[in-house]
Amino acid sequence: MESSSPLEDNRLGPSVCAPLARQRLNLTFFTHVAGDREVLCTASHNGEAALTLLRSQAAPAASLALQPGTSILAVYPHDKRPEVIGTFIRSLARARVVIHGLASSPSAISAVLSSRRIKPAVEQLFEHFTFPGFASPEEFFSAQAPPKEYLEKVVATYQEKVNKVYWIIPQPDLDLWGMSIATADILAGFAAALMEMGELGLVIPFLVALPGLGGKEFILSFSTARRQPGGGDHGSEVRHILKSHLPDRRPMRLTPVAGIFLHGPHFGDRYGIAHTLVAALERARISLLALSCTISSISLIIRQKELAAAQVILGNTFAAPVECAPIGRT
Amino acid sequence: MSAKYILIVDDDPDLVETVSMMLESKGFEVGKAYDGIEGEAAIKKRRPDVLILDVMMPRKNGYELCKELKSNKWTQEIPVILLTAVGEAVPTTSYSHADGMSVEAEDFIPKPVDAATLVEAVERLL
Repeated sequence: MESSSPLEDNRLGPSVCAPLARQRLNLTFFTHVAGDREVLCTASHNGEAALTLLRSQAAPAASLALQPGTSILAVYPHDKRPEVIGTFIRSLARARVVIHGLASSPSAISAVLSSRRIKPAVEQLFEHFTFPGFASPEEFFSAQAPPKEYLEKVVATYQEKVNKVYWIIPQPDLDLWGMSIATADILAGFAAALMEMGELGLVIPFLVALPGLGGKEFILSFSTARRQPGGGDHGSEVRHILKSHLPDRRPMRLTPVAGIFLHGPHFGDRYGIAHTLVAALERARISLLALSCTISSISLIIRQKELAAAQVILGNTFAAPVECAPIGRT
Repeated sequence: MSAKYILIVDDDPDLVETVSMMLESKGFEVGKAYDGIEGEAAIKKRRPDVLILDVMMPRKNGYELCKELKSNKWTQEIPVILLTAVGEAVPTTSYSHADGMSVEAEDFIPKPVDAATLVEAVERLL
């Protein structure tokens, strides 16, 4: 479902997340960019119910569109390498796939696409990637057992009072880039820009893409590290690459921002977790600049000056291990 | 001296990523696989110094893989840490601790795992 309400502030919690959580509707994919636009996926049998709920909460100027018959296709690990994300997007383009949304997790890049295009999309992915577990698309498809019973068994045990989280990992010193591009450009210019960023060794810890109004544009939001290991500024490099591949567009850079990555268990299969997160941040008056929920993680971008407060509030909201220090590579 | 090679096998790619970041930050070289069959292939390709293995996975679960490794003279010496939500978090599962004991893994660590516990367990087995 694509949702937008450009004239309404602070609606994400009360108008989108809360009603879905109250009805125990799980979001298997959820992206948001400040302040007005989301793409969310539910199980297909819940689509109409979710639409009705969101409509009942929506402002008159809001726009809601249900896309039935979609699937989520993810590739991992991307290792935060832009060229992996770029190759993923290019593969989808070659399969003539219409992308309804892109989202990243710490390990994966996910796309929402028509279920009817899954087969050609997977075939294209096998042209461009090697998958150690599967020699061919046929082998991949034959291994896709219905996960329903397995998930029910596991997820039914996670109806805890306080949502358990494996890790809450902060990542400071990021830039957040935002731009609106023509739908065709995400399949060409942006993918090429990602390839070039990859050649330069840049990393992308966060990325979401959502269709704009009328489906002719895409709203992109992604983050890069602010500084190179030696101390130089990455921003001018990124801007130069974006300008060279998307010359008519004006990328906006917000800096400094911070990412926070909350991970599992089974976030993608349990209802109410996004609502718990968004409500906690709203209570603390922390502005969510962008959000990506996919696979088993929630990735969010906030202003860096709000990072410490956000860590405290999230630590108090979720049952998380004590150790939540920043780790790993940027 | 080359870094010790740790293989992580779990069907949750975000968990694999996070655990691998934890271990890489401590100087280990890390391999990743996403189910039992991929894990088996990865072990054939390169023998890990320690194997971190999830229990509940599609295609081939952690107990099955561990049992196979321990019954093969070429792989039985690979130390295995079972990383599992079995027990407190998932009491109704059909994967029991008794099954785990029978597969002769060297260690069990319940999820969520903190970096210090995991690194300590890995170092103990090296």
